[in-house]
Amino acid sequence: MSPAGREVTITIDGREVPAVEGEMLHDAARKGDVEIPYFCYEPKLGDPVGACRMCLVEIEGIPKLQTSCSTPVREGMVVHTRTEQVKEAQNSVVEFLLVNHPLDCPVCDKGGECPLQDISYGWGPGKSRVIDEKRHFEKPIELSPLVAIDRERCILCYRCVRFSQEVSEDAQLQLIERGDRTYVGTFDDRPYVAPFQGNITDICPVGALTNYTYRFRARPWDIEHAGSVCTICPSQCNVSFTVRDEKVKRVISRDNHEVDDGWLCDRGRYGFEMFDAPERVREPQLKGGAVSWEQALEAVAEGLRRAGGKVAAIAGDASNEEGFLLQRILRDALGSPHIDSRPSRGPKADVLRRLAEPNVSAKVRDIDEADAILVLGTDPLHSSPILDLRVRKAIRRNGAKLVVATERPTALDGGAEAIARYAPGQAAHFVGELASAIGGSDNVATPVAETLRDAGKVVVIWGERIAREDGAAEALLDVAAATNMSTTDGAGLLEIPDTTNARGLREAGCLPDAGPGLSDTTAGKSTEEIREALISGELTTLVLFGADPLRDFPDTPAWEEALTAADFVLTFSMHDNATTAKSDVVLPLETHAEKDGTVTHPDGRLQRVRPSASRPENVVPNILVLSELATKLGLDTGIDSQPTAFQALTNAVTLYNGIEDEQIGGRGLRWQDREGATSARTGTEQPGPGGPPEGGSPDTQRDAPISMVQPDPTPRGVASADPPSGGPSTAANGDLLLGTYRDLWAGPVTELNPPLKFLTPQQRVEISRTDAERLDLKSGDKVRVNGIEAEAHVKERVPAGVVFMAEGVSDGNANALLNGGPVQVKIEKLDEATA
Amino acid sequence: MSFDPKSASYLDSIEVVEVQRGPKPGGVGGAYRAFGETLRGLKTTMARLIEGPMTIEYPEEKTPVYPRFRGRHKLHKFEDTGLEKCVGCSLCAAACPADCIRVVAAENIPGDRVSAGERYAAVYEINLSRCIFCGYCEIACPFDAITMGHDYEMADYDRRDLIFTKEMLLAEPVERTPLKSEGE
Ligand code: SF4
Ligand code: SF4
Ligand code: SF4
Ligand code: SF4
Ligand code: FES
Repeated sequence: MSPAGREVTITIDGREVPAVEGEMLHDAARKGDVEIPYFCYEPKLGDPVGACRMCLVEIEGIPKLQTSCSTPVREGMVVHTRTEQVKEAQNSVVEFLLVNHPLDCPVCDKGGECPLQDISYGWGPGKSRVIDEKRHFEKPIELSPLVAIDRERCILCYRCVRFSQEVSEDAQLQLIERGDRTYVGTFDDRPYVAPFQGNITDICPVGALTNYTYRFRARPWDIEHAGSVCTICPSQCNVSFTVRDEKVKRVISRDNHEVDDGWLCDRGRYGFEMFDAPERVREPQLKGGAVSWEQALEAVAEGLRRAGGKVAAIAGDASNEEGFLLQRILRDALGSPHIDSRPSRGPKADVLRRLAEPNVSAKVRDIDEADAILVLGTDPLHSSPILDLRVRKAIRRNGAKLVVATERPTALDGGAEAIARYAPGQAAHFVGELASAIGGSDNVATPVAETLRDAGKVVVIWGERIAREDGAAEALLDVAAATNMSTTDGAGLLEIPDTTNARGLREAGCLPDAGPGLSDTTAGKSTEEIREALISGELTTLVLFGADPLRDFPDTPAWEEALTAADFVLTFSMHDNATTAKSDVVLPLETHAEKDGTVTHPDGRLQRVRPSASRPENVVPNILVLSELATKLGLDTGIDSQPTAFQALTNAVTLYNGIEDEQIGGRGLRWQDREGATSARTGTEQPGPGGPPEGGSPDTQRDAPISMVQPDPTPRGVASADPPSGGPSTAANGDLLLGTYRDLWAGPVTELNPPLKFLTPQQRVEISRTDAERLDLKSGDKVRVNGIEAEAHVKERVPAGVVFMAEGVSDGNANALLNGGPVQVKIEKLDEATA
Repeated sequence: MSFDPKSASYLDSIEVVEVQRGPKPGGVGGAYRAFGETLRGLKTTMARLIEGPMTIEYPEEKTPVYPRFRGRHKLHKFEDTGLEKCVGCSLCAAACPADCIRVVAAENIPGDRVSAGERYAAVYEINLSRCIFCGYCEIACPFDAITMGHDYEMADYDRRDLIFTKEMLLAEPVERTPLKSEGE
């Protein structure tokens, strides 16, 4: 559908309705308030297929009835939706669908929210003439461990199959057999396991696909819908909680095209049972024992006062208001500048300010219209799943050209025009090379650069972790300049940060060298420096707000040491974990179904998290806990509720100045889109649109080899398995370079939600075929990697000389091996006997 | 005209209305009237006296009810299989105008079935202190699983005891209420 359609007027049922030429008649009718029943039409799924025939209408000049979902609008079209002929067709379609559809409504989970029920009532004949036996299938059976399928109820609308084929592109669901024996299934009846499968239960118009987690839990009249935002990952999808008896029973999408396109990943959809997990922290704990809030806050105030300014704080899973209050406590009540919100370190504040410039930032929707997309240093499937779908959509529907430059093979490689692989630790170098290659130099990044050069609208989706390397963020800005982002509408950088609300926390002032609104401030220590200072005794006290360093931060042993060395550790945590076990005081955090506050999407969109379910008895809103604590420490913040906290936040953060809660509403508000949005850069000079810096990376002394896998010229984007010539040559002693990544399923979400347990990843060592042969390994062999036991997994697309391991898994967390620099690992094969 | 109440012209201008009163109490006439009225009342009493006592000695004795009387609900089981008829569909809860039915359904485990369908009511509660005995639940039920019984004896000492659980509704009510017989 071209957005530049002509405005036309059509007549529906004698009424003139404005429309855009080329849009589907069904959409035009809906906008003109004419209801046409439909089952299969769903614009989210792409082009219409006209499978169900429910949407038939009469168009003057065309003798046969037409499906309104797949008929484009033309000027002067005269349409009738209520004539005898149409009614008869509608009656027949419903009667036909009900020939085989069982009369299951009382036991069917969809009952009450079922389009088939509604349409049978509204447009059906009310009687069936069919007395024959209906078709039978075994039911209900497992389509996957999360979704049950009842094939008798399926009306073969194709929606689920289209989702699997054209949206998530896992191509697992198929329609099998022919005629009335057709059914939805997978090849060989294998379980449908994919990270987005839950969406098919949302789009199925009948009760054929149901969630095991929700089956029979409630009827539509037993529940309330509460809109909020999923804060499990930086995608910040808009969700609607289905709440019964004040408990979350289901999570469904709240369709925000600007954020999630109406899809959810399974982590967000099924990750709600953890709100009630036995591991949940339900009351304040002092040295492991439950205490009253009074006692706990007294102990905290005492502990913080004793630190005498030698205190640091790290924010993780926190709302903007919480982050803002936390940094006020640190800076204004305790007089310490040491606060951070990043797992290890990141760019300096002035670079962050330049990255936050509205003219170089892309919004999620820009991906849809981009001419070229660069995925840099991250695999969206794992780090921000919903963007993976978005990129696929841009390629499939808009013909966007994708290039991927990462350490590790990504899920998007298959659709890429060019792929670059750089060795772990070489991101900064690579991005520098890329900037100069776009400017015309010929180097390792040239194949990628060729797609981006003069491409028009370029959107760069980049992972925060590349910015842990010095110079990477600066080089990224050079890429932005080289692709003329600041002067191209719809082009820009889109960061995928490591934590959900990373952007909001940075803008709220949880940075060592920037205060609220990225303003200048006394420089403090970054996360990594805080850790070192705790070990050396320079700092004695640590506040962790929703951060779990022992699981999520690099260098676990050093963190163990730091937490042990600290005199006093205060942890705000949702669940018990290794970090809370080492804390002196643990205070409970609210979940995203209980919290009231705002978060900021990586593209700058402020979104509101709203309390939807009841919180456990002794869990108190965190904003109140923080402001109470501030008061105890002698700082009157004047904050006693979410509105006052939001007011204080928007007053202090220049970027958010003047934003009202109503403006955020249910859809969010990008601060950049506001009238008179303040530039992130305060006081610093504005560099002109400027060309790319000729002559390479700002980090030229670091000229380490980078591994470059170029796609074969013929098949689109298939990475060659040959060891790249310039690859990280395996060290003489056979050691391999370690690369790590955060797996989608590695983390508490799979462990705390029983339905997702089956997805809990085990540590695997992904190794190239060359290295596997050299070490005599095959997939499934048990190996030991620098003390961590794991399973070898030979992967074609892994470059030689590198192995990849997952961070955040419960056993053998690769974070334990990281130490801030390149890590060489030794792989020993374990015999079956020793394993 | 002047309004001096003592002036003659003012007094002349007032219309005097005479109040009609009944006979003065007391005296022979009064005694006769009181006795007469009592006798008139006694006539009715005497006339009913021969009919015998009308009092129903509740609770020893109960008023029979019509067959379609809507009393305390009953949940039913299939006689042959012993499975509960209720599938926990919540339609009764949807129909209930007093919003006093709570159904929490669950999935049947093959081999340990509770109801005949895919689902069953794990929790089925009626708050009888709120029920208005309209019978909509009975009409809504697609499986005739719930019906209105004849029992009207539900008084209790604690409101909480008026929340009838599934077990209580499935059990035969202990006290039976007599039905009116044909033609009664
Ligand atoms: S299972 Fe549901 S979504 Fe899939 S084809 Fe059948 S009716 Fe459509
Ligand atoms: S993609 Fe992220 S934000 Fe969206 S539902 Fe999944 S976990 Fe939640
Ligand atoms: S009789 Fe009426 S008020 Fe009582 S439970 Fe049934 S539907 Fe509700
Ligand atoms: S009593 Fe009838 S209407 Fe109510 S839940 Fe059971 S089956 Fe459904
Ligand atoms: S909605 Fe048009 S054919 Fe299905």
